[in-house]
Amino acid sequence: MEPQLSWYLALSALLFTIGVIGVIIKRNVIAMFMCIELMLNAVNLTFVAFASFFQDVTGQLFVFIVMTVAAAEAAVGLGIIIAIFRNRESLDVDDASILKL
Amino acid sequence: MLVILFILFGGLAIGCAINVVAQRNPLYCAISLIGVFMSLACLYLMLAAPFLAAVQVIVYAGAIMVLVVFVIMLLNVEQEEKRRIRIGFLVPAAVVMAAVLIGEVVFFLSTVHPNPILQPTDIGLTASIGAKLFTNYLLPFEITSILLLMAIVGAMTLSRRTDVISESARVIPGAQLLAVSDIDPSASHDHQTPIETHSTSEAARVLEISDRRTETERD
Repeated sequence: MEPQLSWYLALSALLFTIGVIGVIIKRNVIAMFMCIELMLNAVNLTFVAFASFFQDVTGQLFVFIVMTVAAAEAAVGLGIIIAIFRNRESLDVDDASILKL
Repeated sequence: MLVILFILFGGLAIGCAINVVAQRNPLYCAISLIGVFMSLACLYLMLAAPFLAAVQVIVYAGAIMVLVVFVIMLLNVEQEEKRRIRIGFLVPAAVVMAAVLIGEVVFFLSTVHPNPILQPTDIGLTASIGAKLFTNYLLPFEITSILLLMAIVGAMTLSRRTDVISESARVIPGAQLLAVSDIDPSASHDHQTPIETHSTSEAARVLEISDRRTETERD
């Protein structure tokens, strides 16, 4: 018996759920950032599974572009985190609840 | 055989993902997240996508996580302290949402038929991805380059230290030398020599800016 497409989709949904739970219950902004990366990867797994099972390369190109967006997000997001930390000396998201440095 | 590998790497991914959420120390979160990325790369290999597996290891586990770990080290993050429960009602909300999502997954798995079969294919190879990327999907590729340029500019703007001392700038305590061009010349009554100060409040007074630290102490 081979792994089915639905197995990969279930695994991806589980990973995404764990990421959502992490974003909701975490308060350290770096930990939240990592949970968002986890969710992006769960979606990537769905794309790759569909691309492979339906023999279409488009899904893999999507994953490629998602990875680029994730890299850009990491650069800008961590820049924002450093700027917030410099001003507030805290990484707690509740301390940065207004959109002002 | 493939089933055993799927269970192995899928279980590893889920275990590491749960550890990412459960850990309080951000550094341990980062290490677990690298575990998730590596097991996902192995799953990509099982799905006949070797190029994406390599990119996953290089870009995610390599570049992005190095950046994250670098920031964690730079900020010297303390362990997350025990939270004061103020939005505790969100925890059951998260559990309910997870239960709903898992229910949906079970529903779909039990209803969707038939499952397609994974056949030997060459769509995951670098050549086929490159051919498609530079013909049909050239425009998204170019837009991606603009996105990266914007990210570079944004990151530089966010982390740049301004040369002119603004009101929000923090004055470093201790002896410091300030160039004449940095301060208001009329405040020093001397247009030639730089001014040396020995404390934060003194520097703030010379610069005629409000010192946040002394203000909060006064409060």
